[in-house]
Amino acid sequence: MPSSKSRPWLLLAGPLIVIAGLLLYPIVRVTVLSFQRYNLREVISGHPVGIGFDNYKQIFSGAPGLPASYLWKTILPNTVGFAVLAVTLTVVLGTLVALLLVTLGPKVRALVIGSALVAWALPAVTGTYVWVWIFDPDSGVARHVLQGVGLLGPEGHNWFTDRNSFYAIALLNVVHHSYPFVAITIFAGLLTVPTELHEAAKIDGASAWRRFWSITVPLLRPVFAVVTILSTIWDFKVFTQIYLMPGGDGVNPDVFNLGVWSYISSINQTKYGLGSAIAVLLTLVLLVITLVYLRVLFKEEEDL
Amino acid sequence: MRTTTAAALASLTALTLALAGCGDSGGSGGSGGDGGNAVAKGGAKSLTFWVMKGTNPDASKFYAVAKKEFKKQTGATLNIQEVEWADAHDRLVRSFAGGGGPDVSEIGTTWTPEFAAAGGLADITKQVTSSGMGKDELKALKDSATYDGKQYGVGWYAGVRGIVYRKDIFKKDGVKVPTNWAELEQAVKTLKAKEPKMAAMPIAGGSSYASAPFIWGAGGAFATKDGDKWKGALDSKESQAGLKFYTDLALKDGSSTTAASTWKETDLLDAFAKNKAAMVIQGNWTPKTAIEQNPDLKNKIGAFAIPGKNGGVAPAFLGGSNLSVMQTSKKKDLAWKFVQMMTTGDLAKKWADQTGYLPTTKTALTPYAESSDKLVAPFATAMLKGGRNVPSAPQWGTVEGNKTITAMLQSILTGTSVESATKKASAAIESTLNAKS
Repeated sequence: MPSSKSRPWLLLAGPLIVIAGLLLYPIVRVTVLSFQRYNLREVISGHPVGIGFDNYKQIFSGAPGLPASYLWKTILPNTVGFAVLAVTLTVVLGTLVALLLVTLGPKVRALVIGSALVAWALPAVTGTYVWVWIFDPDSGVARHVLQGVGLLGPEGHNWFTDRNSFYAIALLNVVHHSYPFVAITIFAGLLTVPTELHEAAKIDGASAWRRFWSITVPLLRPVFAVVTILSTIWDFKVFTQIYLMPGGDGVNPDVFNLGVWSYISSINQTKYGLGSAIAVLLTLVLLVITLVYLRVLFKEEEDL
Repeated sequence: MRTTTAAALASLTALTLALAGCGDSGGSGGSGGDGGNAVAKGGAKSLTFWVMKGTNPDASKFYAVAKKEFKKQTGATLNIQEVEWADAHDRLVRSFAGGGGPDVSEIGTTWTPEFAAAGGLADITKQVTSSGMGKDELKALKDSATYDGKQYGVGWYAGVRGIVYRKDIFKKDGVKVPTNWAELEQAVKTLKAKEPKMAAMPIAGGSSYASAPFIWGAGGAFATKDGDKWKGALDSKESQAGLKFYTDLALKDGSSTTAASTWKETDLLDAFAKNKAAMVIQGNWTPKTAIEQNPDLKNKIGAFAIPGKNGGVAPAFLGGSNLSVMQTSKKKDLAWKFVQMMTTGDLAKKWADQTGYLPTTKTALTPYAESSDKLVAPFATAMLKGGRNVPSAPQWGTVEGNKTITAMLQSILTGTSVESATKKASAAIESTLNAKS
């Protein structure tokens, strides 16, 4: 019956139109822009110039003022390397906190969840400024502590100028900001694991380590998959936490990641085409990663 | 199995949401506006004017006077909109793309060639010539508004950087105002020895135009034009020597602090207002702000022009703003009348006085240079004697957007050699300036 066939679509029409407006249009627009030159001159004249793959060529072989290997030696390590570290640390720390929560009494548990939620609820901007303040080279807490224990000379050290220490601070910031979500999600998952399974395993003499890997992990696989995919997407496109740190707003090209590079190309330099091409690249990288994840997930489902 | 599917679906939804997030970072400027100008309320004639707002004090009194005067002279209503300097470039670009822009806008001198080349500003060469204006406009300003032999703006106000210092500390430690670079270095050394709690002169990695007097003062340049081609000049012997002297104040003589390598110009002013610095390179409009932040500093601060290498005054970057008529304006005649009103006579002087900036013509500037106000005269002198502009190329705006110079300063201050840092910056400037826009 045609009427019953079309009814679901009718009901879905509202949300679909909204999604098309808010998602599809920008994606199409950015993709089109990425094949055009849309600098100040074109913005003013209103006529973008199609230039084929030139923007992509610039990404892969050096935009004006940047070294040819910029994407490979700077941008990708900063984006991918950082995301791998941040996701790993976030999920490990989140899992540990979740396991801790299970063993706690209700009052202490509420306290731990509460304090973790504060870190999560903190806006990224505020959180970033807190970490920048902690590591302020002249008057930050880190300087006083390190000098107190004799690890830092009297002249101090500016951690924001070196790429590795810059990203170490960003890592602390991002992990601190995102582990509570992982912890609480996994904690919720842990509560659904039937206690009989653990009891039976205990009677059989399995260690806590063994029980975690043989019971908890397989049962919580979908939960782990979701938090890992979400964390990967978030940590790949981390922007605020980088842009707001000293040097991250464009002074120090050594610390850009894909998102910051895209923003700086489009907004600071009025090269919307190049910026869009970078954004498309970021989207493609994320799509590939997510597809791989989903494949692994469905494959295991078939194997079960 | 059911939970797994649900989880996969959930992650798909999450993915779409996450992708939406990165989609909008790439392409703004696509929003279709109505393409028209700001429409006047009630249909009466009106003109929209954008003013940039940054470290300058509140100007609402001046706006009221300007509105009244404009109404009296032309019968039209003046709409003044303040735009933050930090957003201004972006907002102007957006107004070109989507409409709703001003008729007249203040345009930073370093942006003028960029916007002019891209076709955003109206050519006002004829009007300027026939009105006889701009004859004794400071050359650095006139150059900044000139592109391809045509003029796209009239200087509204200008400012220059000098050294703001603590008179009381200088007196206590027996330091005299330096008149050449050797004396400046000696002053730094003395202050460093006698004031352990203060930085003698912090060198901010994020303040590109503070380094200009030292590059120019040693005979160097940012870039030079050879026929049609720009050539990066920061790696010339002279530029390198100037930069080495400037950064060695921090690296060798210990004039600075560790954090200053990533400081911006505003951080310098903060440090100065908090009694943490004895000298800072600052714009002439900032001593007022410092006193506002810390009233204790009243009568304790002075200013001097950055000295030349062997005496005299070093060339200093002459910053400021032009007033330009926008190409999109439909009331260009009225707009030009307004530009004329604002840049000449009474309104121009009122603006300069209220904001602490300096006027843009030699005739108007001379009284300031001869003034007895020790916080004004040194800057006016520096402007008259040493005001210089950056290379007047449309792509200079991109060099600023790339932060090439601050990146270079920051890398030198954190250990890269002057030779390799300048080489890199010079190559970047050269390729940017010669790129087709």
